[in-house]
Order: sequence, then structure tokens, then C-alpha cells
Amino acid sequence: MLSFLLIIPLLSALAIGLAPERASKGLAMLGSLLALAAGAAVVASFDWGRGSAFQFAAALPVVPELGVTLSLGVDTVALWLVVLTVILQPLCVLGSFSAITERTRTYYASLMALQAAMLGVFLARDLIFFYVCFEFTLVPMYVLISLYGSTNRRKAATKFFLYTFTGSIIALAGLIYVAWVAATRVPDAAGWTFDIATLRSAAQAHLSPTEQGWVMLAMMAGFAVKVPLFPVHTWLPLAHTEAPTAGSVILAGVLLKLGTYAIYRFVLPFVPVAVVEYAHVVAALSIVGILYGGLICWVQRDVKKLVAYSSVAHLGFCMLGMFALNAAGVQGSILYMINHGLSTGALFFLIGFMYERYHTRSLEEVGGLGSKMPIWSTFMVFFMLASVGLPGLNGFVSEFLCVMGAFQSGAYTLGPGGTAGPLGPWYAFIAGFGMIVAAMYLLYMTGRIVFGPLREPPGHDDHGHGHAGSHEGGGLPADLTAREVVVLAPIAALCLFLGVYPKPLIATLEGPVNDKVQMVLSLGNAAGAAPAGAAGGER
Amino acid sequence: MTGLMGGWATLAAAGGGAAAHAAPGIPAPGAGSPIALLLLGLPLLAAALCGVFAATGNRSKLPAFTSVAALGACFGIALMLFLNWNGQPATARAFDWISLDWGAGKGQSFDAHFGVYIDGLTLLWMLFVTGLATVIALYSMEYMSHDVGLGYCRYFAAFNLFVFSMTALVMGDNLLMLFLGWEGVGLCSYLLIGYYYKRAAAVAAAKKAFIMNRIGDLGLLMGILSTFVVFGTIEYAPLFQMIASGKTASGAELASHWSVWGIPLMFAVGAFGKSAQFIFYTWLPDAMEGPTPVSALIHAATMVTAGVFLIGRLYPLFTADPALIALSVVAWAGVITALWAATIEMAIFDIKRVMGYSTISQLGFMFAGMGLLTPTGAAFHTFTHAFFKATLFLGVGAVMHGFGGQLDLRRLSGVMWMRGFGLVGIAMLVGSINLSGVPFTAGFFSKDVILAQAFTTPGTMIWGAQAAAWLLLLTAGMTAYYTFRTFLRVYVGPREFVPGDDAELLDLGRHPKGVSLDEWHAQHGHGHGHGHGHDDHGHGSDHRAAVRPDFDPTTEEFDPHPPGWSMKAAIGLCMVLSILAAGVYFMKPAVGNHGGWVAGMVGQSSAAFASPGEHHGGAAEHAAKLGTFLGYDPHKVMYYVSAGVGLIGILIAAFLHGPRGVWSLFIGNRTSAAVAPRADALANLFGPLTRAARNKYYVDEIYDALVRTPLRVLAHIFHILDQGLVDGLVNLCGALPRMLARSLRPSQSGVLQGYAVGMAAGLGLILIVVWVLMLR
Amino acid sequence: MATLADGLHLSVLAAAAEPAAIAPAIGLYHYLFVSAALFALGVIGFLTRRNLIIMFLCTEMMFQAAGIALIAFSRFHLNHTGEVFVIFVLTIAAAEAALALALVVLLFRRKETLDASEWAALRG
Repeated sequence: MLSFLLIIPLLSALAIGLAPERASKGLAMLGSLLALAAGAAVVASFDWGRGSAFQFAAALPVVPELGVTLSLGVDTVALWLVVLTVILQPLCVLGSFSAITERTRTYYASLMALQAAMLGVFLARDLIFFYVCFEFTLVPMYVLISLYGSTNRRKAATKFFLYTFTGSIIALAGLIYVAWVAATRVPDAAGWTFDIATLRSAAQAHLSPTEQGWVMLAMMAGFAVKVPLFPVHTWLPLAHTEAPTAGSVILAGVLLKLGTYAIYRFVLPFVPVAVVEYAHVVAALSIVGILYGGLICWVQRDVKKLVAYSSVAHLGFCMLGMFALNAAGVQGSILYMINHGLSTGALFFLIGFMYERYHTRSLEEVGGLGSKMPIWSTFMVFFMLASVGLPGLNGFVSEFLCVMGAFQSGAYTLGPGGTAGPLGPWYAFIAGFGMIVAAMYLLYMTGRIVFGPLREPPGHDDHGHGHAGSHEGGGLPADLTAREVVVLAPIAALCLFLGVYPKPLIATLEGPVNDKVQMVLSLGNAAGAAPAGAAGGER
Repeated sequence: MTGLMGGWATLAAAGGGAAAHAAPGIPAPGAGSPIALLLLGLPLLAAALCGVFAATGNRSKLPAFTSVAALGACFGIALMLFLNWNGQPATARAFDWISLDWGAGKGQSFDAHFGVYIDGLTLLWMLFVTGLATVIALYSMEYMSHDVGLGYCRYFAAFNLFVFSMTALVMGDNLLMLFLGWEGVGLCSYLLIGYYYKRAAAVAAAKKAFIMNRIGDLGLLMGILSTFVVFGTIEYAPLFQMIASGKTASGAELASHWSVWGIPLMFAVGAFGKSAQFIFYTWLPDAMEGPTPVSALIHAATMVTAGVFLIGRLYPLFTADPALIALSVVAWAGVITALWAATIEMAIFDIKRVMGYSTISQLGFMFAGMGLLTPTGAAFHTFTHAFFKATLFLGVGAVMHGFGGQLDLRRLSGVMWMRGFGLVGIAMLVGSINLSGVPFTAGFFSKDVILAQAFTTPGTMIWGAQAAAWLLLLTAGMTAYYTFRTFLRVYVGPREFVPGDDAELLDLGRHPKGVSLDEWHAQHGHGHGHGHGHDDHGHGSDHRAAVRPDFDPTTEEFDPHPPGWSMKAAIGLCMVLSILAAGVYFMKPAVGNHGGWVAGMVGQSSAAFASPGEHHGGAAEHAAKLGTFLGYDPHKVMYYVSAGVGLIGILIAAFLHGPRGVWSLFIGNRTSAAVAPRADALANLFGPLTRAARNKYYVDEIYDALVRTPLRVLAHIFHILDQGLVDGLVNLCGALPRMLARSLRPSQSGVLQGYAVGMAAGLGLILIVVWVLMLR
Repeated sequence: MATLADGLHLSVLAAAAEPAAIAPAIGLYHYLFVSAALFALGVIGFLTRRNLIIMFLCTEMMFQAAGIALIAFSRFHLNHTGEVFVIFVLTIAAAEAALALALVVLLFRRKETLDASEWAALRG
């Protein structure tokens, strides 16, 4: 069943490659809708009662001698990220119709191949398969940025590729080390295996605390770059700024989540002792990212770069929640992955739509679009609010849970609402300033681009109010077209729904997250690496 | 109703030390009527409908009718809830919002529902919020008519969303729901202040309001999280029970636990932010950039009182502290704010900002009331203030609407005597006497409760209570002065005016429908020939307005545009309500026998609290334990004292600013709008102080220099660092191999023989090595 | 390696044991010397000449030198491996010659010269 999720995008990529140029749009749309249908079918037949178990397991041995198997399966966490991917994909295709008019075949084929790779990451239960997909995402993304990006695209694409690739290689080394340990130190090991569950128990049982530290460092080297965590984030603004609209959406929406997902899947359970010991370091870096990234946003002149830096700040919250190592934090973190994908993805769409009309992203050249593009502006304000974390919209739920997780973590000494964990209220308090900074830069952005007197670039021919005049950028009217509204409306609806009624997500994530948190904390503390007493009297 | 008082805090004597004030217990809530949830649903539905109207390009007043109907229905529901209320708290739930479980034990699950908690405080707030919202929606129908088809739907959508948020804030049954409303009202305030989004000042003011509020919100959020950690719940009902039991959830003694002062302080920061108290207040004057009805509803009557509500809602927590640290902070913040804002008001000339600062000042009174242990007084003052301040704002709005946005009190005079403005003038007089505390008005009674209690509360309970009381009394006099300064200059006196050039506030009839205001503006230029906008930041300059005493409205091209039926109806309603609000003081309270209807409502709520000395334990007790007013019982003499102080303030205003004419025998020297020689002389006497007050004591500038600019610089440094250092290191990693490669580059000559020589040499080298190895 | 060393050793002994042969026997050394000489000539020619055709001929010469050495060892060890190998080499050399000369012709058409130093596009 899950294999359809991989085969459909791959086949459509192939079909787009073989079919004539003019068919590529339609084929991509068809492929992504079929993938959406497949995703819906998986959701429909998923057994929510066993959310922490991998379901729909399927395996195909590839290199039996080395234990490499193409094995698939989803648990709740993976499933929701799969859902995010299959929902964003058709919107990305639809949103590219007017932006990409040349070499469409390569473009849509890359987009579909990218989807297959991303889904592969979420579906993989075999380490090698996971890693292959994880790395393969770079190739289509490289093509998308370097061929369809804006002026500085080659530099951005190269940097993106080399930076994340270098990190991933180090992560691979760490993972292979774990596999080696599993093959050599486990008493009844039947040769090499790359099954993630087997490796996890082997790593937990047979890695010394020092080794765990090194393995964590290696894995974080790869995954933190992808997230991106504070000091290793600099590829992101560049790649985001230069990528085509759909590329940015996918990059922000899903690709960054590969890093956080990998941390959830590998770092947390594989090396719990090291995680408990170094969580405060990661949390501190996250908080630096939140404030530092946020302040940098505030002085940006390029609106796309502003949103790109905001991802650094936002993912800081996500990582903070993750390393709070309690139910609220980790759930918040997973919700954050989904919510950030929706709201920031939509912001990138909006900026892309504006760019198609004005061919500039500078806040100094264009602004005050509220009177000229009322529909666009309404969406802009809406998604800005979702991004700023306004209660009632999706961003708040995840941000609140992340901050709450950080606050509770280790606060069991203060009262029963606290949990065991490595952080504490001060982390939450300082991270809370990130919410103020977020308001500062996002309101600065909307204040300039939506509100204020209308400013347009000098070369832009004025269509007058509401007049659907032709335009050098492909005959687009002043405000959004019906197609563009169709791209944004589902995201807006999801943002609102998840803000008001996040229960479906929270209720289904509860089981797996609680299991994971229990496991990490009990193992992390049992080995004696955590500060004395951190296990807490509550459990 | 008295029979149903149940376990409400009843009349505990003040004696027995400061620690014994915690309410003995708030009854567990019963099941509330699910109809209460409609109070949340209806405004939301109306907001959604307005969105639909906007999407379908509606060009009628339909959004306004929808809003008035929905809000009127809300008021009806609130009234029905109140009439059917049995005096007990009640809850009703819609659905789960955020709820998590991570264990079975206490505090191992987090629950925030969409649900409502109904008690006296809730109903009190809901009644005036929905009531005023209906009236002001009616007013807006006409006031915003110049924007029909442009921003009309947007305005009413945000307006309804505001009522929804305020309802969530007031009615929510848990702290997160309150937070939802708290941020929601902030959002609507942002949207409505920035309603005239083409005006840079409005956009900046909106941004400022939101960000300043967010700073307070951080305090609130930390308070909520601490509450959860310490008490294991954020729902009111179990929280109040736990506080009443005197223990934290882990069994520690609450009175000696850090949370008993720490958490209230965090909440207080949130309350200061939302209610524009000292150090956070600067956003509120700027918020006057929004349309006037919005200023009346949001920035005077309802939203800004959310801080008072928050403290009232969490009063059990605030009073659980034996040292009452947080309440002392609240009291002093209130007193300082009240005094500080009053001094500014006495100096500035923009009548709308006078109202803005006056709101800040009155909010200071409410906070002082809360802090000085009279939640009844604070709630009562909130209640009366909502009506009379709304009246004042609506009156100012009518003037703005009629005079093209003119707000400078040096350019308006005798408005009351102009055709169609009579009702406005009367309403302003009613509002002014309420605000000044003229005897037998609602404002008089409510302020009196606070002042009397301020003198009664001993300094042993609230730090420096006596000094605070004297400062409040002084502020009351200043309030009377600045209120009548405005009234006497603008509404009475010789008839003259200079119209503003704010086309956005002119009636639609003056420019063709459907043309955007910008275009209209461009066509007409500054066609009134007077070209002086109300320059928002120019009050510091002493330039005289170009008032022409010979101005004859009938011959000029500009006609003052009197308010129409819906504006008049709204002003009239507010005026009547602010008069009637005095009546509630004489209604028998449901709990106790003192303080009127509001006291009863507060007594049947979480804010129930037996104020020290409220029940007249006799002069001996006063002398021994409680504060006095110069040796008298404050509760008995304060009526006369505050009336006297108010009248002195009014007389000073009349002496300095009163018109010639009927008054001329006694006082008054003003002959035209611009001139008030005695007042000017007095202002000059204070010189630098006046200038500083006119510039709002440069607080904005100080914040700019201390916070914003350093942050901005830091952000720029970070930006440069990010590109130079952080990214630079990355680039260095990339550059090192490249440099190495470059140094090796010349070895690749590209000439075939060169490579061949290399090969040959390599071969030779291998041979030599082999040879050497072989030889060994 | 051991067998090769032994072989060399034996042939040396054999030469020493029969000093009065009909003529000085033509041993492995002679072939190897010819091969080495031919190879050296090829290398020197390749390094010193600039003409592409001459250079190509020199590489062929080095090929042949290697071939001679292979044949010699093949005879010496009394197996056919080397001979088989040489036949392969010759076949490939023939194909290569055809290809290389065609390339040289193409290069000549580009620049009307056969000077190898004119072609230095790979300079770093």
C-alpha cells in the first residue's frame, strides 16, 4: 500500500520526462493528485489504536548480504508528515503554472522526483533506504534551484548541496558506526542489518555514554544542518531566496522537516544518554537561533529573505520543544513541523505571487499593496498571524506546546505540572522573547508590504484599481487569480482548523510521543548520565 | 438571591492579620446553560458573514445591520443569562481545544477547553461589553459610511471579531481561553487602529500597540505556565478550590510558596500591558489613530479594562499572599499611571488624545482600586467609566466627523451652539461631569468607593497606602480640571472653528461614491483653504493656530456636518446609560449590604473580597488598625471631600478657560478659540514642565533610545555577523580546498609533453625505489 | 616473484656452465635489452618531438617494446600467456592507431598544424 506513495510520484516523474513539454503540467497535477489520493487511502485505513507501531509494513531485500532492505512502514508521526507532503505537492504544482513557462518538463519531473524522495524518507524503516532518500532529495532540489532560481541561483544551489551533503556524510558515518556496533557487539547478531528498530535497540544497549556522545555529534552534524540549527543555518536564507516559489515552499514545508524528523527518529531513541546530557546545549542553540534569527529578520529588505530567516527562528522553537523531552514539548515540536510547513509555505506562495507581478522582492520598492491587491493582502495578513502564533490559528498551538514543554521540563521541583527533563522555566522565558521578536519582524513586514501608501517599482505599469490589465509577467491581473486562491485557500482552511481543533493531531500523536519520551528519559537516566534526580519523583 | 449565597466569600472581618483575606471558598461550578456559548458563536458568525460580504463585493450597509443584529442578540443573551442566574458559578463546554495526557497523576494532563465560566464578574463585564458594542456598532454604521464598499466590511468583520475575542477573554473557563481572547483583542485592536492603513502614523500605531501588548502577553503566558506547573491546572474552578485550600498541588503551604507572589506578578505584567499601565502605556495614546468608535469601544470601554478583569478574576491568587506584594505593585502602578497621565492631559491640545490619556488615568484608578483592596470599587469604576467614556468618545467622534477631522482644541469653540450639535454638547457635558466626579453622577460614586477604600486600607497591608490615597485624591482634582478645560474650550464659548482636512472623515456625500479617498483627495487638494491637519506630533511647538475670529460658517464653503440619526441615537443611549449607571449604586446588592448592585455582582465572583474596614467596625477600629482621612472615617467623609476636590478642579478650569458671556461676571476671559490668556500664562510659568508634558515626557523617545535603537543596531550587527562570520566560516571551509587546489594548479600545464615528462619521471622514480629496495 | 628470480638465476648459471658454445647463446637478457632500448627510444622520441604523428609513432614503439618483453618472457617460461597477450595488444594497437590517426587528422583540420604544444586547452 505504501509503495504506491513512492511509485506514483516516480512514475509520473518518468512520464513527464518522456511526454512532450505541453503535457508536463497536466501529468504533474495528475501524479500529485493520485499521490494525495494514495495518502488519503493510507490515512483511512490506518489503525489509530496502534499509533506507535509501524503499519503497512512491506519489505524487499536489495542487498541481502549486507542486510539492506527496501522496507516501508508508517507510524502516526511519519503519517502526518506524509500527509503534509502529499497536500503541499499538488498546491506547489498548481502554484507554478504561471511562474514556470520554460523547460517545464525538467521542472515538473524534478518536483515529482523530489516528492518521491521525501516520502521515501518518511516511509523508510531501513537505514540505508532512509539515507538514500534523504540524500536523493538534494538532486532534484539542486536542479530546481540552479535552473529555475533567480539571479544568484548557482551559488545558492551549490552551497545548499555541498553544505547539507557534507553534514549528511558525517551523519552517515555515525549511523554506520551504530550498524557496525549492532553487527559486532550484539551477541546473537545474524550479520549486518540496517533495520532501524534493530539498530535502535542495539545502540541503546551497546553504546557506552562516550560513544553515544560522539554518535550524537555525528548525527546532529547532518541533521542540524538540515533543520537548520543556529550556527549551521546560513545555507537556508540563500537557498530560499534564490529558489523558485514552489522550491521554497517545498524547502520550508517539507525538506527542513526531514532534519527534525530524523532527529526524532534517530537521535532521540538511539543515543538517549547523550541526548539527556547535551539537550541543554541544543536548546541553548535553538534559543539563540530564535532570537538571533528573529532580529535578523527585522532588518531585512528582501521580503523572501525575511521569511527565510524566520524559518531559522521558527525551527528554533521546534528544536526547543523536541529537546524538552516531555510530552508537551515533543508533541508541540511535531505539530510545529506541520504548522510551520503550512504557514511558511503559504507565505512563500504569497511572496512568489507578488514577485510574478512586480519582479522584485525588495520592501523598499514595493509596498502598500493593501489597496491594490486586497485578496492577496487578506491572505498575507492571515498567514502572517498564523506565523506570529496568534491563538486560534495553528501556529499558536505548536508554539505554546513547545514553550510549555521547555517550561515544564525539569520543573517537577516546582509542582506537579512539571515533568522530568533537562530544561526549565528559564529556557521558556528567554524563548518567549522570540514571540515578541516574531511580532516585531512580521508586523514590520506586513506594515511595509500590505499597509502604508502604495509603492510600486518604477518600471511597473499601473493597471488602475481592480482592472485586469495585461502584464509582462504572463498576463496576470492585479490581484490574485482564481487558481492562486485555490492554492492558498486549502492551506488557510487547514491553518484555521488546526488552530481551533488540533485534537485529531494531538490525540493521535499522544501515544507514540509518550512512549518515546518515556523510553528516552528512562534510558537516559538509567545510565546515570543525567544530573542526579532528574528522573523525577513523579514517575 | 441572598439565599443562594452559598460559600461565597462573605464579609470576613478585616482583623486577624493580613493573611486571613483569602476567600473561604468559591463554590464548585454547576452546569451552565449552553446558550452562553452563543455569546461566542454569534459575533464569530457575524464576522464570517462580513467576510462573505467583502468577498462578494457588497456595497451596502448590510455588514452594519448584520453586526448590530448579532451584537444586539448577544446583549439579549447576556441579559437573559443574568436574569436567570442563580448566583452560583456555572460552566459550559463546547469542545476540547488543547488537551494532552502524559500520565495518570495530578498535573500530568493539560486541558484547555472551549468553554465558559459564568459568575458575577463575567456577567458584569458581558453586560456592558455587549451592550456598548451594540450601541457603538449602531454609531459606526453612520460614522464609517464614507467607506461603504471600501473598508466597511473589513471594519465590521474586525469589530465582530473583537467582540468574540472579548467574550472569550471574559467568559473563558480557563487561562488559555483567556489568553486566546487576550491576544485576539490585541489582534483586532491592531487591525482597527491600522484601519486607515494608508496613513503611516496609523500603521505605526497599530504595530506599536500589538508589540507592546505582546510584551505584556509574555508575562501572562509565563504566569499561565507557572500556574499550571504549580497548581497542575489552568481551569478556574479547580484552581480556585486549590487556592482556597491554602496548598499548592504538591501539598506545599501556599502562603510561604514563591508562587503566591511570583505568579501574580507575572499576571500583573500582562495586565499592565493590556491596560496601558505605567511603562507600557505609550501605545494607547497612539491607538487614537483608529476610527473614533473603535477608540470608544476598544481603547476606552472594554479591551483596556481586560487587565482589571484579569486581576479580578485571579483575585484569590493575588490575595493569598500574606504580604500582598503583587497587589502593592498593582496599586502603585495604578497611582503613578493615574497621576502621570493626568499631568500630560492638562498640557496637550488634541481632544481625542486628551480622552486617550484620560482613559489611561482612569485605568490607573481602577488598578489602584484593585491594588488597594477594593475590587468592588475597581469593577464599579470600570462599569461606570465604560459608559461615560464611551459617551465622551462618541461625542468627540461626532465633532471629528462634522469638522473634517479637526481635533485641536485651539481651533474649535462653541460647538454646542451650532446647528445639530446640541445633543453632542449635552452628552459631552454629562460625560464630563461624570469624569470629573460631580456629585450624584455615576463617576462620582465609583471614584468615591476607590478613594474611600484607599484611605481606609492600612499601610501595613498595602505598602504606602496612605500616600497612594492622597495622590489619587490629587489626581481626581486634576481630572476635573482637564475634563472641563476641554469642555469649556470646545463646546461652549464663541462659535468658531477651523475645519480639519481629513477627507477620510468627511461624509460620503461630499465625494462621488466608489472613488477611492486618495483620488478624491488628490482632486480636491487641500481644498478648504485652511490646510492645517491635526499634526499628531506637533503639539510641542507653540505655534498659534490660524483661527480667524471673524469666521462665519454660513459663508464659507465648509459646513459643519451634524451627526445623523444613528450617531445621535448611539450618543443619546450612551448618555442615558451613563446617567443611569449612578442608579446601580443604590440597588440592593445580592451579597452584603453595601456598595450597590456591582458590589453584589463582584461579591458573587472570584473577586469576592471583604475590604478592610468596609463594614464600619467603629472609629476605634479605624484608629487602631485602619487608615483614616485626617482622623475621620474615610467611608463617611469621602463623599464630601471628593466632591469638593472635583468642584475645585472645575472652578480652576473655568477660571482659566471659561468663556466670556454668561460666565463673564465671575470668571472666564476667553474671547476666541485660540485664546485663553490666563491658561497660557500659567503654562508659560511652568515652562519646561509644560513642554515636557506636551511631548508626553519624551517617554517614546526614551524607549526609542533605550530599547528600539539598541535592538535595531544589534539586529544589524547580527545581520552583518551572520553574513561575515557565521557564513564566512562556512565559506572559509569551502575556500580552503579551493586555495590548495589553486596552488597546485600551475602543475597542470596542458602541454602533452609536460604530462609525458611527469609520467616518465614517475616511472623513473618507481624504478629507483625498486632498485634501492632490491639492493637492500 | 620467486620463480622469476630463480629463472634469471638459472639462465645465468647455464650461461656460465657452457662457455664454449657455438655462438654466444641469445638469452633472455638480450631480448630484454632490445626491449628496454626500444622503449627508451620511444620515450625519448615522445618527450622530445612535437609532431603529433611522430609522437604517436613513438608510443607505438613503446608498445612494441613491451610486446618483445612479453614474448621473451613467454618463451622463457615456456607458456603462451605472453603471446596471447601480445596478440591482444596488437589488435588493440591497430584499432587505436586508426582512431588516433583519425583524431590527428581532425586536430590538423582545426589548426593546420601538427605541433602538440598548440593544444593546451587543459591548462589549469
